[in-house]
Amino acid sequence: MSVHIGIGFSQDLNAEQAAREAAENAQNKLGFGRIDLAMVFSTTHYDPHTALSAIHNTIRCSKLIGCSTAGIILADSIQTRGIAVLAIASEEIKFGIGLAKIFDKTDLYQTGMEFAKNTLKNFGFQGRQVFLSFIDGKIPDHSPFLKGLQEILGNIFPIIGAGSSDDFYFEKTFQFYQDTASNNSAVGLILGGQMGIGVAGRHGWRPLGKPRIITESDQNIIKKIDGEKASFLYEDYFQGEADKLYSSLLSQITILYPLGIYVEGNKEYLLRNPVKVLKDGSIVCQGDIPPGAEIHIMIGNKDSCKQAAREAAQEAQKNLLGKKPKLIIIIESMTRLKLLGRTAFQEIAGVKEIFGDDVPMIGMYSHGEICPFESLEKFRKPLIQNESIVILAIS
Amino acid sequence: MENPDIIISILSAIILSLLIAVIVFVQQFHKSQESLKKLKDSFERLDEQAKLIVKTDLELNKAQEELDKRLNGLDALQKTSRRITTTLDEQEIFQRLDKSMIINFGFEKNLVFIHDKTGKLQPRLNLGFSDKDVLTIIAQIEKDTSIINTLKEGHTISSANAQHQRKEFLMRLLNSNYFVLAPILTKNGMIGIVFVGNSAYAETVTESDEEIVSILASQIGQATENARLFEEAFRASQILETKVHERTQQLASALEDVQNISKSKSEFISSVSHELRTPLTSIKGYASILMAGKLGEVPEEVRKRLEKINIHSDNLVQFINNLLDISRIESGRVEMNMTKCALAAIIENVHDLLTPQLKDKNIEWKTDIDPNIPDMLLDQHQAERIFINLISNAIKFTPPGGIIMVKAHANSQVVAVTVSDTGMGINEKDIPKLFDEFYRVDNEINQQVKGTGLGLALVKKIVEAHRGRIWVTSQLNKGSTFHFTLPIQ
Repeated sequence: MSVHIGIGFSQDLNAEQAAREAAENAQNKLGFGRIDLAMVFSTTHYDPHTALSAIHNTIRCSKLIGCSTAGIILADSIQTRGIAVLAIASEEIKFGIGLAKIFDKTDLYQTGMEFAKNTLKNFGFQGRQVFLSFIDGKIPDHSPFLKGLQEILGNIFPIIGAGSSDDFYFEKTFQFYQDTASNNSAVGLILGGQMGIGVAGRHGWRPLGKPRIITESDQNIIKKIDGEKASFLYEDYFQGEADKLYSSLLSQITILYPLGIYVEGNKEYLLRNPVKVLKDGSIVCQGDIPPGAEIHIMIGNKDSCKQAAREAAQEAQKNLLGKKPKLIIIIESMTRLKLLGRTAFQEIAGVKEIFGDDVPMIGMYSHGEICPFESLEKFRKPLIQNESIVILAIS
Repeated sequence: MENPDIIISILSAIILSLLIAVIVFVQQFHKSQESLKKLKDSFERLDEQAKLIVKTDLELNKAQEELDKRLNGLDALQKTSRRITTTLDEQEIFQRLDKSMIINFGFEKNLVFIHDKTGKLQPRLNLGFSDKDVLTIIAQIEKDTSIINTLKEGHTISSANAQHQRKEFLMRLLNSNYFVLAPILTKNGMIGIVFVGNSAYAETVTESDEEIVSILASQIGQATENARLFEEAFRASQILETKVHERTQQLASALEDVQNISKSKSEFISSVSHELRTPLTSIKGYASILMAGKLGEVPEEVRKRLEKINIHSDNLVQFINNLLDISRIESGRVEMNMTKCALAAIIENVHDLLTPQLKDKNIEWKTDIDPNIPDMLLDQHQAERIFINLISNAIKFTPPGGIIMVKAHANSQVVAVTVSDTGMGINEKDIPKLFDEFYRVDNEINQQVKGTGLGLALVKKIVEAHRGRIWVTSQLNKGSTFHFTLPIQ
């Protein structure tokens, strides 16, 4: 069974040059003439159209997807500027890709279903293993979209997702599909065929203080907690600092202290980053909030993050049933990059220790993650999380 | 229903049981309420503790972030410093300070302006701006004298320390929410401005940013100043080099003239000497014939005059021979007849030759000759002339009862010889000219004894022809020592 993998990266300041260099490096490391799938991650310093055009002019690949990111994870470093290209050629692994455009009034549930159908159509009638999607991180609520996907793919089918990001600008993120870079869209990839996968996600945050109850919520908006306006939770804890909640989209406070929702059966709390606080004190999150749920302010630190990453790697490794991985794809919340700062690579070094130094590795920093998280149930259901690390190991 | 008492008893028991149950339930309820209250209180206390933890944790996180930023900045500074301080080319400083280095400081936009000779700001580095933007920024900054003056005073201007109005103006102008402007200062004042900025939410500017950018600006200033000083020094050295070259050419030309003149002089002396020697030989010959009486008896008075002619002719022949020798040695026409010689034997020969004169003046002769001096390659005849001249001079200037000492010692390469006397010594001002041709020291003895002034000049030529050196040390009224070296091989 032969799988050829090549990862190229460039930090050149010129978009065309960086894209060309990254693509050339990927092709050279692939050591194979044909490219079945290219996955592209680019920081937002580059014009995505120029970059994609340069990649297509440099390498010939039948399928390409990717997105913009706040940073790129490589086996030997973490880069907050650059373009990375993953090239795969394999007879055994099969790929299907899809694109969905999302407009203001779009029914996300319906779009999610159509998206899954289109991607499956591109994949064909083969054994499917995992679905990977990159959705515009600016879309406020990913939950209906995920439900739409699950409607077609099945509730317990492993879905991994990332919200494309733009390094805390929250202005414009990009999704790459073949030779097109667009926003307000989702791109997807189904992997299948003769391959094994190990998927795991963790966050490492712990509940702090007394439990509170969400007394009123509407989809992804928490309106009231313990009968008070939702933002009171942060105001109570942070007093003077809480003003910043209203002035910025994703403040330092909410990155360091996200909300944790207790979900019966899950081993870890479901994390939600408040992405916006409305004038009436309602907190807008990226995923749905179940009314009546127990909620906490969560606390984490660098060590708990690194430990969570190691645990995710160990679980993904365990799921490979003893096979050595050929490729590791990491989707990690950009908030963790901010929290870990200079020590961010130590977290990745911990992951490398589990899989081995020689395994090719690529990853991106996302704004919202989807992954089947650790639960007490045998079959784990994919959920939307924030501030987590998701590891996909392919053998 | 036959026995109402029984019924009443049963009912009473039931009511009593119910009453007891109610009492127990109420007690239990109160207990639960108390437990619940206690639990609530515990949660509240826990929450208060959590607030304290959060406060501490938030402060720690801020401190950590600041520390990380500072460490990143210092790391970037160290790398930048290493790159820009190892060149002395101003142009190259800015090539080396490439855009990727600025990114390491945690900023996505950067401008470096340097004053040109007319005092106008010129862009030397640009990250994140169009050429048109840069021109607008320069024009606006140059127009705002308050900004320029603040920078000239050595202060940084940042989004953290600027007054509201100025901050708003610079934010718009530089299209950056967070920025630092730092002056590039040298000993001569401000030579330019460094700007770094971010529009990203993640990169706020703090005091450590201001410090780091300020240090970066200082490094650029230092490197630029060094490059300019080097440029000046290089230009000055080039001018000096040109002048030295011109002067060297002039001197070479003058030397060539001197050499030509010297050659002409030598040829003239040689030619004149030859021309003089032929008639002199005839004069001396005819004087000898006349003195011998071959042409008839010569009266006593005539004989005396003929003897004088003979003596003066001999002196003149000696003078002409010396002149010819100097001329030949100078022109390289004399070929040294080098043979293996024992230096001690040469000195002894000369001593034998001059013994009568030593005795006449009652001068003590002393030698200190190293017996280990190997045989040397010398022209024996010329070597003897060195000693004859030096020892004759010593006899001439040493008063009766004095001492003349000859020493010779060898090291690995040369034999060092000294001829010392206890004579009248040489005036210090005469020493530099002592070996010049025709130079005669103006002293009492020289006024009485005639000489040609060629002896020491000839000695010098012979020593140099043997690749040796000669010099003299002297103390007035105590004596003189002539030192010379001769190579062993």
